[in-house]
Amino acid sequence: MILFPEGQPTTLETFEEYRASGGYEAVRKNPSPAAILQEVTSSGLRGRGGAGFPVGKNWGIAAETGISPRYVVCNAGEDEPGSFKDRTLMEHRPHLVLEGIILAARAIQAEQAFLYINETYDDCFARMSTAIEEAVRAGYAGPIRLTTHRAPTVYVAGEDSASLEVLEGKPPLPRPKPPYPAAAGLFGKPTVVNNVETLANIAPIVRNGASWFRTYGTAESPGTMIFCLGEEMNHPGAYELPCGTSLRHLYEEIGGGLKNGKKLKAILPGGPSCAFLPADHLEVRLDPESLRQAGSSLGCGVMRFYSDTTCMVEETLQLAQFFARESCGQCPACRMETMMLSAMLERILQGKAGASLFDQFQNILDFNRGKGYCALINMPGPPVMSALRLFRGEFEHHLSQGTCPLG
Amino acid sequence: MACKYVLVCQNADCQSRGSGELLEQLTDKLKADADLEVKPYMCFGGCQAGPNIVLYPQKVWYSGVKQADVDEIAAHAEGGAPVERLTHGVEQPLKDLIYQLLDAGLF
Repeated sequence: MILFPEGQPTTLETFEEYRASGGYEAVRKNPSPAAILQEVTSSGLRGRGGAGFPVGKNWGIAAETGISPRYVVCNAGEDEPGSFKDRTLMEHRPHLVLEGIILAARAIQAEQAFLYINETYDDCFARMSTAIEEAVRAGYAGPIRLTTHRAPTVYVAGEDSASLEVLEGKPPLPRPKPPYPAAAGLFGKPTVVNNVETLANIAPIVRNGASWFRTYGTAESPGTMIFCLGEEMNHPGAYELPCGTSLRHLYEEIGGGLKNGKKLKAILPGGPSCAFLPADHLEVRLDPESLRQAGSSLGCGVMRFYSDTTCMVEETLQLAQFFARESCGQCPACRMETMMLSAMLERILQGKAGASLFDQFQNILDFNRGKGYCALINMPGPPVMSALRLFRGEFEHHLSQGTCPLG
Repeated sequence: MACKYVLVCQNADCQSRGSGELLEQLTDKLKADADLEVKPYMCFGGCQAGPNIVLYPQKVWYSGVKQADVDEIAAHAEGGAPVERLTHGVEQPLKDLIYQLLDAGLF
């Protein structure tokens, strides 16, 4: 595969091992900024942090501003619950990530690249700092300054504009947009903010070419993605699979199904902000287009599988509480929405409200839609509304009886 | 008719404009009335117009309430006249949304 030779992390790769397998060839070939940009654009690579924006387009905006200095931010905030793909990449293949950062900085002619790393990831700081020293000593970084920075572990700190606030020494609060970071980012200068996994794809693309990259995945979503499976599975871990692989393959072959032979009830295929899928949707393909067609989204590849012993009311409440807790509080509408949804679900769980409360979820979401600086305000809608639709009986039982139908 | 609930928003914006003190003062003023309950509310969503207080089930919405208004609001809660000048702070769609939530028992 593209990111892990065996499709999953094995050894902690050293500088020498990386070079011996073709590492830094792309940097040593010294392609022009335009050539790098062209290759990445042709590859069709899209951001792997969840938003899925075309990478070449993002870089192009920054490169074409004519404003300097320009910056690159490697976003390793990784606060998505259940996600550990960025940590895995930095620990196992630090130089693959770093070569991608250097190539990104060359493509947009950035003078500095900031590695914005989740502050709890001690091993990643160590691995990336060593990698930077080795690459600089070998002359691979050229004039580009490479520095590591601590990312606070609150959810919004991983939002691209919030990462810029932190790098400017301020609290992690998302900025109103536009302007987008590519046009006016760090210190008001054009800034490319890319997720770790996105950047890890760059060196293989530049080294092997866009058409090679496109032999993986689908026409619309070329390449691979790392999927994170949690402890509920027989084989938890981070797995790289071509985009377009069936969910059944990931669930049955790779993940080995749920532990203790439990029966599958629901799937949350892209982290807490996506819609639940019922158990009979295992044939869906793992690419953004197929997931969208199925009424959900792929997010950043965090997969959660729920067994038939799971209370979906409680799970949905936990997701709503997560957003209420993580709303940064600067946008009143987001604060109100996340708090309300959480309170409403709590009342349903306890059986302490009227049945007309069901009709109010959509009203709350419609009233607040788009009234926030960042995407968080739009995040609780898909999981909450899909749960209410798919598992309505469970919600109704809770509301009328105040007890769980599963006992 | 006296109202049953005086709901005082306690979310960040209303708090920063003194809704904590309003809650205390209204509680103190109306504590003798057994049919009345003064309660904190998580958020009415009228953050720019706060502090917000809603009388329920009358469905009267007071915005921009100051300590000087407490006596009049307490009098209204006990069956007196509404305080007309404080009722225009938020748009009707927000009022409708919140009243529906209150009708569904969310308080």
